[in-house]
Amino acid sequence: MSESTFMGVERDRIDWSPRIDFTKCNDCMDCVEFCPHQVFEVDENAKPKLKVKNPNNCVVFCRACSKTCGPDAITFPDKPETTKMIKAIRKAEKEAATDE
Amino acid sequence: MSESICVLPCNGLDKCAGDLSRRVALELAQSEEVELICPVLINQNKSRYEKALAAGTLTVIDGCNTRCASKLAGDLELAIKEKVNVSEVAKALDIKLGVEIRDDQDTQAVVRAVLEKINSSAAEQAESEFIEPESIEYNTFSHGKFIFKVPKANYFFNENDCWVTVSGNMARVGVSDYVQQNLSDILYVDPPEIGDEFEQFDDLGSIESSKAVFEIISPVAGTVVAVNTGLNDAPEQVNESPYEKGWLVEVSLSDFEEDQDLLHDCPAYFEFLQRKVAEIDV
Ligand code: SF4
Ligand code: SF4
Repeated sequence: MSESTFMGVERDRIDWSPRIDFTKCNDCMDCVEFCPHQVFEVDENAKPKLKVKNPNNCVVFCRACSKTCGPDAITFPDKPETTKMIKAIRKAEKEAATDE
Repeated sequence: MSESICVLPCNGLDKCAGDLSRRVALELAQSEEVELICPVLINQNKSRYEKALAAGTLTVIDGCNTRCASKLAGDLELAIKEKVNVSEVAKALDIKLGVEIRDDQDTQAVVRAVLEKINSSAAEQAESEFIEPESIEYNTFSHGKFIFKVPKANYFFNENDCWVTVSGNMARVGVSDYVQQNLSDILYVDPPEIGDEFEQFDDLGSIESSKAVFEIISPVAGTVVAVNTGLNDAPEQVNESPYEKGWLVEVSLSDFEEDQDLLHDCPAYFEFLQRKVAEIDV
């Protein structure tokens, strides 16, 4: 597994990945082409062809693919909230470690 | 304080906040060290102020959140040292300015508060100057045919491979050697706007090579004070000197202590990068 933590916090505890609004998405696949981290998957036979297959491959705080999206179909979680949460987890872990 | 100050006020004549920025500017102009810049004239004829701007630092007074004065300075590529926003000062004092131009207790209080703000930050001027370090020492490690450099001290990194180095209340932001090598020849730098306020992990523009676009994810929160205009003609400096000549954005910090919580110092980033490079290749 690559990059399984972000600032010492397990990656799967951080909710950060693109959210696709399929009412806007036009299947252009620009985002797939743009992102080098295998976050997306394309299934030609599925209803929305695009799928966020590996959300935890997404680089925490990256939002780059949303800029390539013409119809503005990609959004991300709230950044200040995410930052706060990461800080809270780090603090809790530090405290747990010093309590021992 | 020997340095002179140039003051660029919004001067908006159509509403109260603009009128107050004009009044603040006129008060400031009573000091010999202060030169006023007329926004209309500088827009027409920038060379008129070239000498004054070269000799001193620039303080911008915005009336309202349209921030015309800041934007004007940005368009003219002037480095802003200090910014105040009359409407924000008024809001902090819980004073409603409205449209009508008036001279009463409320507006006088706002003028006083803005002046105080400018004077107190003038006192911090010495601290708010970014001073380039004399020379920087590096640690290196190699992976395959690549050699990666990380400074030995005084830089901080986020895990998005962007660095910050601090001097007083000012800082510079750039990308690490790893990013630069990954992208290979950088062809284009898309900087943020001068005067932009941003939070930690907001994006600060991007850099682009023929291989990819890389978003600059800010390691700190602050305000954009200057961008490295040298990169317009020579974006390859980011490749050649990613930690020094290839800096991207100069900022005034808002709360570096808080930001540091989610940053690595040099030795920690050095370790992080070694792990990252090893993992990516296998
Ligand atoms: S770039 Fe936007 S429109 Fe195109 S596939 Fe991705 S989400 Fe859909
Ligand atoms: S935000 Fe960045 S890492 Fe995440 S999917 Fe988009 S381009 Fe890929």
